[in-house]
Amino acid sequence: MFGLPLAFAVPAVLFGLIALPVIWWLLRLTPPKPESEVFPPLRILQKLVKREETPSKSPWWLTLLRLLLAALVIFALARPLLNPQTEIALEDGPLLIMVDNSWASASDWSARQRTGAALIQSAGERGVPVAISPSVSPPNATITLVDAATAAASFATLEPVAAEPNRAQALNRLSEAASGSENATLAILSDGLAQGEQDSALDFNSNAVAKTLLFNGEITQLAAVSDAQNRTDALEATVIRSQNSQLADEINVNAIDEKGRLLGTATAYFEDGANEAVAAFEVPFELRNDMATLRVENQANAAATYLLDENNRRRRFALFSGLAGDEAQPLLSPLYYIERAIQPYADIVRPRTNDLSVDVPEILEQGPAVIVMADIGVLPNVVEDQVENWIEAGGTLVRFAGPRLAASAEVDPFLPVSLRSGERDLGGALTWTEPQVVAPFSATGPFAELDAPRDVTVNRQLLANPDAQLAEKTWASLQDGTPLVTGERRGQGTIVLFHVTAEATWSNLPISGSFVDMLRRIADISANTGASEIAAQSTASETLAPLRIVRSDGELISPPAFVKPRDTGNSAVTNYENPAGLYGTQDAFSALNILSSGAALTPFVMPQTEATVETLPYAVAEQTDLSGWLFALAFLLLIIDTLAMLWINGRFKRSYKTASASAAVLIAITVSGLIPDPAVAQDAKPGDELLIENLDATRIGYVLTGRQDTDKITKAGISGISRYLESRTAFEPSDPVGLDIETDALAIYPLIYFPIDANADMPSDTAIARLDAYMQSGGTILFDTRDQIGGSFNAGQSPENQRLRDIMRNLNVPPLEPVPADHVLTKSFYILDTFPGIYDGSPLWVQASTDEEGIDRPVRRGDGVSPVLITGNDLAGAWALDEAGKPLLPIASGNPLQRIYAFRTGVNIMMYMLTGNYKADQVHIPALLERLGQ
Amino acid sequence: MASIGQSTKPTGNKDALIRARQRAALVPELLVDALRIVNTVMAGWHGRKKRGIGETFWQYRPYTQGETMARIDWRRSARDDQTYVRDQEWEAAHTIWLWVDQSTSMLFKSSAAPVSKESRALVVTFALAELFARAGERVGYPGLLKPSANRKGAERLATAFATQTTAMPDTPSFLQVQRFSDVVLVSDFLGDTDETLAMIDDLASQGARMHLIEIVDPAEEDFPYGGRTEFIDPETGTKLTAGRAEDWRDDYRNLYQARRHALKARCRAHGGSYTISRTDHLASETLVRLHGFMTGNPAATGKMAGAS
Repeated sequence: MFGLPLAFAVPAVLFGLIALPVIWWLLRLTPPKPESEVFPPLRILQKLVKREETPSKSPWWLTLLRLLLAALVIFALARPLLNPQTEIALEDGPLLIMVDNSWASASDWSARQRTGAALIQSAGERGVPVAISPSVSPPNATITLVDAATAAASFATLEPVAAEPNRAQALNRLSEAASGSENATLAILSDGLAQGEQDSALDFNSNAVAKTLLFNGEITQLAAVSDAQNRTDALEATVIRSQNSQLADEINVNAIDEKGRLLGTATAYFEDGANEAVAAFEVPFELRNDMATLRVENQANAAATYLLDENNRRRRFALFSGLAGDEAQPLLSPLYYIERAIQPYADIVRPRTNDLSVDVPEILEQGPAVIVMADIGVLPNVVEDQVENWIEAGGTLVRFAGPRLAASAEVDPFLPVSLRSGERDLGGALTWTEPQVVAPFSATGPFAELDAPRDVTVNRQLLANPDAQLAEKTWASLQDGTPLVTGERRGQGTIVLFHVTAEATWSNLPISGSFVDMLRRIADISANTGASEIAAQSTASETLAPLRIVRSDGELISPPAFVKPRDTGNSAVTNYENPAGLYGTQDAFSALNILSSGAALTPFVMPQTEATVETLPYAVAEQTDLSGWLFALAFLLLIIDTLAMLWINGRFKRSYKTASASAAVLIAITVSGLIPDPAVAQDAKPGDELLIENLDATRIGYVLTGRQDTDKITKAGISGISRYLESRTAFEPSDPVGLDIETDALAIYPLIYFPIDANADMPSDTAIARLDAYMQSGGTILFDTRDQIGGSFNAGQSPENQRLRDIMRNLNVPPLEPVPADHVLTKSFYILDTFPGIYDGSPLWVQASTDEEGIDRPVRRGDGVSPVLITGNDLAGAWALDEAGKPLLPIASGNPLQRIYAFRTGVNIMMYMLTGNYKADQVHIPALLERLGQ
Repeated sequence: MASIGQSTKPTGNKDALIRARQRAALVPELLVDALRIVNTVMAGWHGRKKRGIGETFWQYRPYTQGETMARIDWRRSARDDQTYVRDQEWEAAHTIWLWVDQSTSMLFKSSAAPVSKESRALVVTFALAELFARAGERVGYPGLLKPSANRKGAERLATAFATQTTAMPDTPSFLQVQRFSDVVLVSDFLGDTDETLAMIDDLASQGARMHLIEIVDPAEEDFPYGGRTEFIDPETGTKLTAGRAEDWRDDYRNLYQARRHALKARCRAHGGSYTISRTDHLASETLVRLHGFMTGNPAATGKMAGAS
């Protein structure tokens, strides 16, 4: 109805709509009853009325509201149903359901569920037994006729599996289950895809079946990846879709790596009516090798996910060397540079034994793309043919020269050019020639795009016999025209010869960047010569354990319990026990995909049967009864009508306190039910109040050691220096704050005084990490070991010193030095040359200045403030004053002037903290003033 | 929600007799009320027998602050430093006619008022009768009571009301009213304004001085109605429906006040007084004010009067 999937359960009630005009007439005629009032001065009012007409009818909007209300009630009574389900007529016999829970059914599985549930329900109403046979099911599954309730429960648990259906098997089971019964109804809930020959073989005991209901799935929305090929310049994914597909002609395919990150997107452009298109990922090799999965965008089916394994990915390089076992001296190993060059984009296969006659066949079985032979003179006769065949089939053989090849060059069949025996020595002691440099690369060879290296020189090389084809076979040559790299196509394969060694003895080519580029170009033109069967590497096990399984919606998941190890001997067809996925181990796995190259999405056609076939659509959506909503809407309108009536009658104005209050309550209740409570984010953290409190003034922090006597003296000391600062400088610090470095916020204090107390607990790692963060973010910690009486910072005997070392071990402390005479600290406020506390002996350590020595400046450049200051003079002790301003602790030396210097030290340190290099810049003032033109 | 205004005894126009009986039953109670009010009002008066409305000189007395300057006798004041006011002697044989509107509209009582308009009107009338009788005046009621000096003026009038056997006409006949008599009309004056004005002119032409007391229900003055309201005239039964009564409020008030101003101005023009008695205010206020007018000293009592 109205283009919507809408129907009415009791359409007769809709005749009530005819009454609407009558209702309209009545509503127009009978306005709301007015409040009757005796009013003696009516004559005066009558004078007014001459000017103003009294509306004797209801306002139009009120009438409309009420008509709407009436219409809503009528509609609601007619029980409108969204997505109405059509009744399905069943026969008297059992209901046999064959359901495709294959990959193609996943995208609209809920529709199948609903349809199946409706079928089973009507079977239950008729009291006939039901048998359900999923087409993707375990091989040993048995199907029996059960009652509708049991069937509904088991049907509800069915899930699509990322595998191809096996309809013949499912139908066979059904016919076994239904044997002996008559007048059965066969319901086929197909996924809509033809299974090729399988379908024509579909056979059913048609005697028992009186009617066949075919629910054919929609396949025009399906797209899948059937194949992926790693070509020279691109990874090409073949995307297929059905005939008459409703999908757009451009379908995006995403490439995803093992961790689920999107690596790239390629678009498959379908020509008009074409069912197949190629999406090419034209990205560099390295990126292609990281691709683990290809997924068609906006497709939630398992076949839209194409898993890539080693076969689609990196080239395999097999490396052979004439010199075995040079591992003690890797830099001299001829394969070392090759390995380093190709590792980023290729897999390296190594021979197991050093016996070429064993290794070569073994490695050829793995189908490498490239075989690199460094200075191998002669191949054993037994493998020559195999190598020959391999090259003909597309293998790329790369050879490097060397003494052995030089010796056997004349008889070697695997050379692109014929070589002269013996090597040519350039620039040696007995030659006149200089070492040769490389000429620009041949424009026709594969290196044409590369720039010839200028810094490569060649001392020795193998020379080719000049013949007519030498020039075209030469990919790279030296400046004098002699070949450096030659290549030849042979069959589908290629043979490449480097006329120098693979290590740096004959030339420095292997240690140049060009070497890497050249090998990469060779890798680009190569292709793997066969699928790598992992079984070849692990011959012991015949089966591969499931590693990751494709869920029916295309996501990779850990394998569920029903997935069995896969026998590699079986054909690569997905089924219930081996759905699509990765099988093997994390390091070596093979991918099992649903579709293979050449697959097509063709619609399923029911084979001819004798029974009548009725084709029905799936129930797309749940049937919803809308009458409840309509009644609710009508009730809402009723409330609005009531409020409108109250407003028209002036109740809101006349008796403000009662009517409007109750109306307000009514509105509030209505609205509160509609509007969710706005949640306010809770971003307050514990300790915020303290933080805010401490922000309004600058404070000096000190670390609470947990020992009362120390903390008391420290507090008194910091208070003392604060008072001194207040009286002597423009800086007026607030009360000092004792800090628990493990929990308190440190960032708001410019300086934290840290008295080391060996008897206190060692700060936890967290606390030290926070101190470190504080220092990194610009704070300064003043460590005071207070142990000058017992030793110095350098001596390291005192327990405080040891403690300080323990703490600093985990801090990023810059190199330290005692305050040099020209440091800013010596003149940031007072001119000082010592920094005493209670004791006088310890120097004050600061971050070592990295300035160059010897430049004559009054003050060192002091960019940045030292994040750490260390003293042993017990500064806080010297600063500690009691309430009356009298010192708490005596000065060790008894010299009263030392206390004054202690305070001055504190002032200088604080000024240094707050002004940084500003004081250092002060020395430039005369020069600046001069420059300003004074 | 109950309606704001109601007629206390909704009886038809024709059943005046029945209404009279009902009113008679109300009378003793109102009489008690009236006497109580009179006692409180009388307590504040001094020398009332000496000066008042009259033609002859009574005394000079010093001018007091607040009196109208027009009353100052400048000739006497010029003789010494004091300022004097000339008082007239209250003429003893003064006839005062009282009349109460007994139309149906007077039965109206709104929720904001404690009593109906009629009840208030009768209380005021009885109180006036008692006041004037005690002062030795002759109190009469057209068509009911001939003017006579009697100590128990209120009682006499009340008895007349209680024993009234004929229906009272809606418009009184003032044929018996003579010169120099005072006429007190207690009504809501909601009838035809032109008729009322004509009556005032007639009375003035007969030489009487008139005092109009307008009994007002607060609902009539304030028009607190809102929303869809059907207004019914208690006298004629005419109905009028307002879509949104609050929209009429301002216009109604303007018209209402215009009517009042017309009456007041005409009354003043003839040397009479116009007093407004709201049923939600005290009846004694009206009495004090009216008495002030009648004794020719409205300013002295002006502070006590609520209405203008």
